[in-house]
Amino acid sequence: MYALLIVFALINKFFMAVNADYLRIPQIISASVFVIIIVGICVMTLVVTIQRYNKNLLSDEGYLSFTLPVKIHSHIDCKMLVTLMWAVLSVIVSAISIFVMAVNEKTIVQIQRFFSEVIPALNKLGSAGYVIVLEVLLLAVVAVLSETLAIYAAITIGNMSSKHKILLGIGAYLCFGIIEQIIASILITSFSGTINQYFNWLSKFPAPAQANAMQLILLGLLIYSLVFGAAYYFLTNWMLRKKLNLE
Amino acid sequence: MENILECQNLVKFFPGCLALNSVNLAVPKGRIVGLLGPNGSGKSTMIKLANGLITPTSGKILINGMEPGIETKKIVSYLPERTYLNDWMNVNNIIDFFGDFYQDFNKQKAYDMLRRLGVDPALRLKTMSKGTKEKVQLILVMSREAELYLLDEPIGGVDPAARDYILDTIISNYSENATILISTHLIADVEKVLDEVIFINQGNIVLVSTVDDIREKENKSVDALFREVFKC
Repeated sequence: MYALLIVFALINKFFMAVNADYLRIPQIISASVFVIIIVGICVMTLVVTIQRYNKNLLSDEGYLSFTLPVKIHSHIDCKMLVTLMWAVLSVIVSAISIFVMAVNEKTIVQIQRFFSEVIPALNKLGSAGYVIVLEVLLLAVVAVLSETLAIYAAITIGNMSSKHKILLGIGAYLCFGIIEQIIASILITSFSGTINQYFNWLSKFPAPAQANAMQLILLGLLIYSLVFGAAYYFLTNWMLRKKLNLE
Repeated sequence: MENILECQNLVKFFPGCLALNSVNLAVPKGRIVGLLGPNGSGKSTMIKLANGLITPTSGKILINGMEPGIETKKIVSYLPERTYLNDWMNVNNIIDFFGDFYQDFNKQKAYDMLRRLGVDPALRLKTMSKGTKEKVQLILVMSREAELYLLDEPIGGVDPAARDYILDTIISNYSENATILISTHLIADVEKVLDEVIFINQGNIVLVSTVDDIREKENKSVDALFREVFKC
């Protein structure tokens, strides 16, 4: 799949380079295929996540997994690690494919210019700028893991049912979503006054202070993700320990 | 004598069916015990409870005095009634896998047994017949030097010649202190290796006895007694 993506990136690049009228139709087709493959990679990553967990722990292979002398949380940790690996790989390959497709003299110059502007800007902000970059990366990783754990927890809950495993799993996942929404909206409405005030007040300040505020907001999001991720983690761990019922 | 396996008022309830009905049972160390009963009598349920694959509705199951957990998993070698190995692995991979996870796994023993039963360790599980897969699983399980072996239907799918070899390995391979619990309904085949039998029916323990007692007192084989007790 990854190889296919790169191949189609190259094909697209060729069509774009030629850019002739008589090649319009194949050009559109190959561009659509490229988009479809990117979507396919996202779906595949998700499917691998679900399938590895379900097959390895909750189907026949669970008979081996759960008789190994390891702590239950090691199973969750190891599945998380594999999912993270796939997610990172998918992002990297997609990025490479887009780069391959887009790269030419003009874009190279643009990319150079982008970096030559961004790096001084970051330097001007001092350490705060780099902290923000770090926080954004961290947030991406934590968000992926937190979402993965929500899926694991939902699958595990689904497995409690003897007849409607998939239905209950999807239901549980939707419930998690609703609970997260409710908590988020409660948090936002209860603090909205203060948040607005804070931003009005902040807009009068110079860039470094705004960067600090950005840091705080990202930190807040990070903590939010971590709290939910941890909740799903402990829920899954507790269920696998105390409520396991393999068929 | 200490008990390796103990059930205290053990109840397991599945939706619409009572699988184990307040079972009290003690299995002492150093025996080969047959857990015998008709299909659906609760044999597999009991073994799965001992492995912590399912959780009891009420009551307790203790292995060497401990509830199922990491410490019990280290000393229990379990053969499930289904194939639980990764299809894409070959036998060498799986042997390494077992060697990594179980300290008591003896690779040499595993390779010896594979050679005796004519299984090529370079083959992938995917290409094997059901009977060969079962042989591989049994070899893996018996290559551990565990304190308690829980074998759920170990000989159901293998040919009679291999059956004899497997039973011989079971008796000759296990150490004095180890206990083997074999669940099966192929009684005539396993009878000669058993020290004790437990008859179980519809979640209730019907009889616990040594094989010698059955032969002396009832003057019949375990197989004959089983047919009498569970007559349809």
